[in-house]
Amino acid sequence: MPAFKNTDELNAVMELLWGTIKDDPGMSSKLIASKLVVRFVYREPEGRLTVDCSDGKTMLVSTGDTSNKPIIEMFMKADVAHEFWLGKVNVPVAILSGKIVSKGPTPKALALLPVIKPAFPMYLDIYETAKKKIASCAE
Amino acid sequence: MNPFMFHTPSRIYFGEETSLTAPDLMREIGGSKVLIITDDVLVKTGLMAPIIDAFKNDGNFEVTVFSDVPPDSDVKCVGSATAVGRGQGCDCILSIGGGSVLDTAKAVAICLTFGGNLEEYQGLNNLSTKLLPHIAIPTTSGTGSEVSMVAMIKDSAERKKLLFGSRFIAPDTAILDPKLLVTLPPKLTAATGLDAVTHAIEAFTSLSTVSVFTDVLCIEALKLLFKWLPIATKSGDDLDARANTLVASTMAGIAFTNTGVGVVHALAHATGGEFGTHHGMTNSVFLPHGMSFNMDAAGDRYAEIARQLKFTENSNNEIAAKTLIDKVEELASSINLPRRLRDMGVPALDGQGVEDLANIASTDPAIMFNPKEATIEDIIGIYERAY
Ligand SMILES: NC(=O)c1ccc[n+]([C@@H]2O[C@H](COP(=O)([O-])OP(=O)(O)OC[C@H]3O[C@@H](n4cnc5c(N)ncnc54)[C@H](O)[C@@H]3O)[C@@H](O)[C@H]2O)c1
Ligand SMILES: [Fe+2]
Repeated sequence: MPAFKNTDELNAVMELLWGTIKDDPGMSSKLIASKLVVRFVYREPEGRLTVDCSDGKTMLVSTGDTSNKPIIEMFMKADVAHEFWLGKVNVPVAILSGKIVSKGPTPKALALLPVIKPAFPMYLDIYETAKKKIASCAE
Repeated sequence: MNPFMFHTPSRIYFGEETSLTAPDLMREIGGSKVLIITDDVLVKTGLMAPIIDAFKNDGNFEVTVFSDVPPDSDVKCVGSATAVGRGQGCDCILSIGGGSVLDTAKAVAICLTFGGNLEEYQGLNNLSTKLLPHIAIPTTSGTGSEVSMVAMIKDSAERKKLLFGSRFIAPDTAILDPKLLVTLPPKLTAATGLDAVTHAIEAFTSLSTVSVFTDVLCIEALKLLFKWLPIATKSGDDLDARANTLVASTMAGIAFTNTGVGVVHALAHATGGEFGTHHGMTNSVFLPHGMSFNMDAAGDRYAEIARQLKFTENSNNEIAAKTLIDKVEELASSINLPRRLRDMGVPALDGQGVEDLANIASTDPAIMFNPKEATIEDIIGIYERAY
């Protein structure tokens, strides 16, 4: 079964996840210092999430189309993103086989991996909470 | 067994004087306005003239030659070659040279195919279509760039290297002509050979991505390199030695482009980027230290190589693995490669300098494939032992 029923569900989970990362100074301070703009482009279901740290002061997280030009873009199926956050994706294999496609300076993307690692153990809770919330809204 | 994917997009032709068949092979893959990319050293050796003549005499090609590629080419050079190719309306590329020329040609192929700025195409697996037809003819036996799906180009102004990785980057055809290597000086023969040795050893120990396909390529490449590299280095005109080391480096290239490399390459890229040291030579210095670091994760794989190459029959993995490290060191010393970074002219760095370099190495894509995680402290340790 796919991890996300539709774009709304995907957006809700990713927004809550990145909101949590933003509220965690250990992670957000390093992301802000990177001054990167990273966009995740998901398919099945479609979705986009942009993390913009370009001013070096704040971290803006937005879903859908945004005008800010990303420095790094990562493309993957939404299910791959789900598995990634669960820590179940073998990143080197996913990159070599094209399951995860990266556009932009790869070293900068790799530098982010250890920064966001503390969010991995939080993901399952976030996923379930966001899904419940969106289900109750739909009722 | 790990799940794996293995592919090798390039056709490979081997044989003395096969380079002269390049026009026929180019006709097969399309294109008539050929951009020949090479460097001045090769033009001066006289190696280029018969190949250029073959295209001119064929009657079906318009030929443009760009021979301004420096060792460790950069974005500026790619821009100049692209401008020349575009100006002449070139629709196919022939690259003849070492890894620097071949990587440059790959980047030029991207620019001529898609237009725009090279920087926009950085990334892994992000290219969407085939590039212009490209035949690559290596004149060093090391990088494997003639079959690899990657290219690295220096951005001198920004002091960084741009990485391009996609199956579309691999040349359509690789021509292995051992005669073209006869002029390669001993030092470069040795250094590029150790690049190939490093590819084979790091590919064999990229534990998350290896397969039985890459295993056989690595083992056979190493057998050939350990046997023939000392001969090729000592007697540059020994065509058997040139042929065997050339084929071995291509085999190791197919292997590593399917598996990735490891911490040795990550450190060599960082050090080369900072101090301009030759890629293969830098690998040769880091290799034994990187292997010692990886011992606990990859010792059994090193032992397997040592036994397959008949360096030992000892069934104790640790002892057999150490034998391989000793043999690598012995090989590099026997062909007069520097054994320490300081002997290559790398200046002594203070603590901050080493840490900065380790930080660069820690985000080099090669590090992803290392058999175990390498922290900044680990990388600093390897660097200092190699210094
Ligand atoms: N794309 C890949 O898969 C890959 C893999 C490894 C290395 N590389 C890149 O390759 C480059 C190094 O390539 P290299 O080691 O082949 O060296 P090189 O291409 O830099 O050449 C070194 C020197 O050797 C000379 N030379 C080459 N062939 C000769 C010949 N037959 N006779 C006389 N002189 C000759 C060249 O003119 C040059 O001056 C680095 O930039 C490295 O990053 C790429
Ligand atoms: Fe290499």
